[in-house]
Amino acid sequence: MSASASLLVPSRSRGWRTGLGNLLSKELAGWWRTRRWWVQCLVALLLLNGIMALNMKGSDPSNAGLNFLISAGLSAPIAAMVLASDSIFGERHSGTAAWVLSKPMRRQAFILSKVVAHGLGMLVTWVVIPGVLAYIQLKPGIGNGLSAVGFLGAFGLIFLNLFFYLTLAFMLATLFNGRGAVLGIAILVDFTGLMQFIALPVQKYIPWVNDIMPWKLTIDFANNGPLAGRLAVGAPLPTVVPIIATAAWCVLFVGVAIWRFRREEF
Amino acid sequence: MSATSVPVIETSGLTKTFKGVQALKPLDLRVSQNSICGFLGPNGAGKTTTIKLLLGLSRPTGGNALVFGKDIQHESDEIRRRIGYLSQDPRYYEYMTARETLRFTAKFFYAGPRAEIERRVAETLDLVGLTDKADRPIKGFSGGERQRLGIAQAQVNYPDLLILDEPAASLDPIGRRDVLEVLCKLRKYCTVFYSTHILDDVQRVSDTVVILNKGTLVTQGPIEELLSSRQGTAFTLTLKGDYAAAETRLRSQPWVTGMQVMSKNGRVSWQIRVSDPDLAEARLVPLALAGGDVTVCEFGRKAQNLEDVFLSIVEEDNHER
Repeated sequence: MSASASLLVPSRSRGWRTGLGNLLSKELAGWWRTRRWWVQCLVALLLLNGIMALNMKGSDPSNAGLNFLISAGLSAPIAAMVLASDSIFGERHSGTAAWVLSKPMRRQAFILSKVVAHGLGMLVTWVVIPGVLAYIQLKPGIGNGLSAVGFLGAFGLIFLNLFFYLTLAFMLATLFNGRGAVLGIAILVDFTGLMQFIALPVQKYIPWVNDIMPWKLTIDFANNGPLAGRLAVGAPLPTVVPIIATAAWCVLFVGVAIWRFRREEF
Repeated sequence: MSATSVPVIETSGLTKTFKGVQALKPLDLRVSQNSICGFLGPNGAGKTTTIKLLLGLSRPTGGNALVFGKDIQHESDEIRRRIGYLSQDPRYYEYMTARETLRFTAKFFYAGPRAEIERRVAETLDLVGLTDKADRPIKGFSGGERQRLGIAQAQVNYPDLLILDEPAASLDPIGRRDVLEVLCKLRKYCTVFYSTHILDDVQRVSDTVVILNKGTLVTQGPIEELLSSRQGTAFTLTLKGDYAAAETRLRSQPWVTGMQVMSKNGRVSWQIRVSDPDLAEARLVPLALAGGDVTVCEFGRKAQNLEDVFLSIVEEDNHER
């Protein structure tokens, strides 16, 4: 053994944090040291800000702002679902997951590093950058009606909505073997708020479901606009239950994903 | 350093069942410290399953196993800190370079200092001859280069136990020789447990072998012991003439367990495996000559190599089932 072996300091992380730092660095590098971040950013700017710019021509800027929220509420989750499912399936099928798991690390760390890195990547590319640009686009038209602090709060709700679908896709990817099932279920949940043939019966027979799902955060035609929209213009929130419930779902999804992944055999 | 009697791997009744199929029947395995142990068996024998169980990639259905005296199910992290592993079909992140891959691997084991980690990475790249390709993305690597990288990442942490699943499978003869040299160098520092189909390599570098067949341990022990225990159980008999009747006579003997036939230049050469070597030595030639229609050109005990022993053990085991 070389003399340098004695100079190396062994890793001291133990328990669920074993390997987390290293895996997180790798996942973050996968976002920020590759073209992924600017590709995602470009898609987000085109889909969200580009469409909003078109909507602003000759129409009320508040409507354009509402459309921005709807676009963010629908398209950002799709990007999150695709990235999350690819991340799990890619590693499982290529064999890199088995390789990494043969090193001293915990399976919790494998899932958590992906959740944190993808959450952060999506926050910057699909929420912060398009959100700041949207503020700049909307401010001249709406003026003082657009609160900077409220807009930040709206960013938070857009991100919470996105994070719900990100964690949902991670959970489904650990439960199913095919992308079809994962994307099918997650997209169905995402579009339920828009699909009247589902949304109306839900509203009529089990209205409480609307309160425990993320739909009211960015898309809510029935009750004076989405919560994110109300925050953006500084209006009071009629309820915070969807916010708390969505956050709770995220925790539950991550918990189930970890539980399932710990039982996975390679 | 020679092998000691201290066990590094010790399994007791270790079993694994996949969807009702028993891939590994109760396995009692023992691998001693500082040995190079060849893990042999036909395809589907349960070698990779055993390795995955030891690494915690898969859960046992029954029994238990200790690596460094630690339980594979409850102390897997601690075990993996001291292990280097190369899988049968090694896969890495294609966008990373060889140096980045080794740095990523090293950081699972070491917190720093950064300069020492870089030094270790460079040292390991040099050991497997990848220094000139260190900063190229892995996606452009050949099978042999990937295998070298696999060996490098398996021993970047100065493991006490190196587990290699088919380490020389995709290498050319020079690459194979290099791998064997690396294994021999590492013998001084660690125990090597490796599965392979290349029996010649096993005989060249290993101290001990474990043979698995259809999920069952058939035999384990030092190579010399295994070879000497089977010595003299095979004979070579070369004849010329009409040998069909002689073959029938020999095959009908209850102590003849198998015959391999090779014909060349009008002669036939038989490798005859027997259950009673003394009786065979006395009776084989008289039986062959009994019809009067053949001439014996050559007769003697066959010097056994590991391949013969492996084949005879597996065939006997298959015959008994």
